[in-house]
Amino acid sequence: MAEKPVWEQIGTGFVQHYYQQFDTNRMNLADIYTDSSCLTWEGEGFQGKNAIMGKLSSLPFKTIQHSITAQDHQPTPDSCVLSMVVGQLKADEDQVMGFHQMFLLKNIDNKWICSNDVFRLALHNFGQ
Amino acid sequence: MGDRPIWEQIGSSFVQHYYQVFDTDRTQLGAIYTGESCLTWEGQQFQGKAAIVEKLSSLPFTKIAHSITAQDHQPTPDSCILSMVVGQLKADDDQVLGFHQTFLLKSYSSAWVCTNEIFRLALHNL
Repeated sequence: MAEKPVWEQIGTGFVQHYYQQFDTNRMNLADIYTDSSCLTWEGEGFQGKNAIMGKLSSLPFKTIQHSITAQDHQPTPDSCVLSMVVGQLKADEDQVMGFHQMFLLKNIDNKWICSNDVFRLALHNFGQ
Repeated sequence: MGDRPIWEQIGSSFVQHYYQVFDTDRTQLGAIYTGESCLTWEGQQFQGKAAIVEKLSSLPFTKIAHSITAQDHQPTPDSCILSMVVGQLKADDDQVLGFHQTFLLKSYSSAWVCTNEIFRLALHNL
């Protein structure tokens, strides 16, 4: 049985950690970002760890649960790891919604941090 | 009115070009990839321009139309551009399906190429 490529191990490990922390106590996510990290959350941009954690902590739900439908990981030319997640989430008593998230991971001082994070709910225009 | 950031201009242009070519003649997409580009299409990996164009050309539909719901672009620490697209597509007379796609763009000799691409249909376990 062949081992998974290293970028897949890193990506999968990160994704598991991210959603586990997000769903239990998302303030623990501060460690994965640096001052140069960028987050785009539903079209709004946030730059740097503080701004990003400010946004995540202000999200207006008490309970949140993510369920991953699929995740894909690739190595990039600059030795980063690109991860894409498609899944569903449920916040408080709201209906289940699809979401899509992308992470770019970079190794800085032997630690994998998230330099780029983009999140969108899968809400399409109705009535084409 | 401020100009959009450069990465957003490049990302939006790329996205517009990509789906326009995909929907009219996807065999022409070769120019955006290099020998090192990676595509993951519904979980299957393809490496390099030839393998990628072959996969895209062999997709089993005659007509395809993409509709973009939202797109986001960010600059990366290594001067690349990360673009994420959420949208819907219709192949032949099939039902409309949601899709998610991610592109990493890099500038080589003054041209922006796609080094990494990931595509997934929005089909969740029921």
